[in-house]
Amino acid sequence: MADLVSITGLTKYYGGVRALSQVDLTLHQGEVVALVGDNGAGKSTLVKLLAGTERADAGEIKVEGQSVKMESSRSAVALGIHTVYQDLSLCDNLDAVRNLFLGQEQYSGIWTGRRLRRADMEAETQRILGSLSVKLRSLNTPVGRLSGGQRQGIAIGRALVTRPKLVLLDEPTAALGVTQRAEVLALIRRLKEQQCGVMVISHDLRDVQEVADRVVVLRLGEKVAEFTAGQYNSQDLVGAITGAHETASGGVA
Amino acid sequence: MSAHEPGLMAPSVEASVARRPLGTRVSDAMSGGFRVVPVVISLIVIWLIFYSQNPAYLSPENLSNLSLQIVTTAMLALGVVFVLIVGEIDLSGAALGAVCATMAASVAVNMGQSIWVALAVGILAGMAIAGLEALIIIFGVPSLITTLGGMTAMMGLLLVVLPEEFSISIGGNPYEQIAATQIPASTSIMLAIAASVIYALGRWSSQRKLVSEVSMLRRVVLPSVLVAVVVIGVVTVVSSSSGLALPVAILILMLVISSYFLTQTRYGSHLFAVGGNRQAAARAGIPVGRMIIFSFLILGACAAMAGIVDASRLLMVSPSSGTGSLMLDAIAAAVVGGTSLFGGRGTAWAALLGALVIGSINNGVELLGLSTEVQNFATAGVLIFAVAVDVVLTRGRLLPLRL
Repeated sequence: MADLVSITGLTKYYGGVRALSQVDLTLHQGEVVALVGDNGAGKSTLVKLLAGTERADAGEIKVEGQSVKMESSRSAVALGIHTVYQDLSLCDNLDAVRNLFLGQEQYSGIWTGRRLRRADMEAETQRILGSLSVKLRSLNTPVGRLSGGQRQGIAIGRALVTRPKLVLLDEPTAALGVTQRAEVLALIRRLKEQQCGVMVISHDLRDVQEVADRVVVLRLGEKVAEFTAGQYNSQDLVGAITGAHETASGGVA
Repeated sequence: MSAHEPGLMAPSVEASVARRPLGTRVSDAMSGGFRVVPVVISLIVIWLIFYSQNPAYLSPENLSNLSLQIVTTAMLALGVVFVLIVGEIDLSGAALGAVCATMAASVAVNMGQSIWVALAVGILAGMAIAGLEALIIIFGVPSLITTLGGMTAMMGLLLVVLPEEFSISIGGNPYEQIAATQIPASTSIMLAIAASVIYALGRWSSQRKLVSEVSMLRRVVLPSVLVAVVVIGVVTVVSSSSGLALPVAILILMLVISSYFLTQTRYGSHLFAVGGNRQAAARAGIPVGRMIIFSFLILGACAAMAGIVDASRLLMVSPSSGTGSLMLDAIAAAVVGGTSLFGGRGTAWAALLGALVIGSINNGVELLGLSTEVQNFATAGVLIFAVAVDVVLTRGRLLPLRL
């Protein structure tokens, strides 16, 4: 598998607090990597650095072998890194179609003032939401008026509009019911089939064991363990997360 | 693995669903295209009240008069709508318009340039100054303060751009013709018919391929007929006494172009996104700062047009240009028409409807010879009622949660 994104020595300080320290990580095409850790382990910080909303104090990020600078969300989007945030990042005043295509609209030429190709986008929205079994009363309803599950579906559906190279999912199953959780996990597998790189942050170790090819454990800003699917059990994972048995991290890269 | 095959999926839009509670349905409808309904009802109530007191209120002469009276407010309100949509506010537009009108008057009268050069100078100056304000806002100074300061600065700038005698009379100059020109009734009606046809075609072309459970009759034919009746009817009545005033035609053109950009284009979508959830817009790669500048550039152009039309009607510019209630009327008009003060919701037509509501009150009070306090109380009542409606729509329920 080709290296999609490789991170070396990534470090981030918030004031005097070291949130992330010398983290090395490689993500591949068509591979699901789970990022786990206790609160304050640095998971969210790592996502923010990859999504371009924060800048690293030290270290290097390479996308397909090229060293890149993450200046802003725009540069991450331009590099093909798509993030599904825990707060969903939807515009409540806009409908499902506009949210799905936010920032990646299909539009006609400049002489029409970049008129939106609404019909094409609606058809695509129906296809995507259908494949996620998200049911909406109307595509024209502002998403602020939809249920939590519908909103989650739209936020995740956004990752299917373009073909991003890497999809970061921040706690994608945190607020979901049983059926919808299964749908999200199915979506993650579908992203993998499309040769996307996927990184999932989760508190839910069942999620991790179900979908992840590799599990990376962070604790207090440092990478403490890395496991490959099938070569660990829940106790190894919990031990690494809590630091209960340091030496048991047999999978450290 | 996947529980479903995509091909076998039920369509994501359900055709008909069980009846929902009335409150939810009303609130859903109001969040969509029916937002104008309470505004139109308010307008009809106001008209009926004044009409019952004096039938001359709804005479073609008075309606034609009213149309000219609201033009300045509506033009400025249109600019305010753009700024409100991205979640900012502007207090400097009226004063900015006066500065632009004065610059245009200097170019046209004192320098003897053609009216087109004067218009270009005025509008470009408006866009430049408003753009500067936008830069300060992006830097981080709240728009309320930036434009409050901007308003004061514009009042000073007005004294700078005025000549030593502190006024420019534009009588006899082509500048005067902007407000004085009347488009003959026959031409106006032809234009109205043409506009209705273009609207119907546009509606058809945008709707014909869309996925929807609503029939084409309801999506295309009925709106087109409604628009045609309203547009042709209004133009016929307003122009029947002495033709359609040129500023009214300019206003309609501005509204149509703005409405197209807000509802049909990528720019419009991004403006609403920035007003709805700025962080989400930024994360999606939308250049938030650029969209704020864009909205202020439009405000600058609208303010300049409003100032120029105002000066043309008053036949002069002076230090008192742009003062008075114009700015607050324009903000009130935008909000009364259905634009949210919280950002992310509004239409170009809100500017027209709101200006009509406020202008109708002012006109009626004047016609009946009532005192100014009645006008003040009525305008205040309508404004607060309109914002209360907006608050209810924003939180999606009638009463606040108990804290």
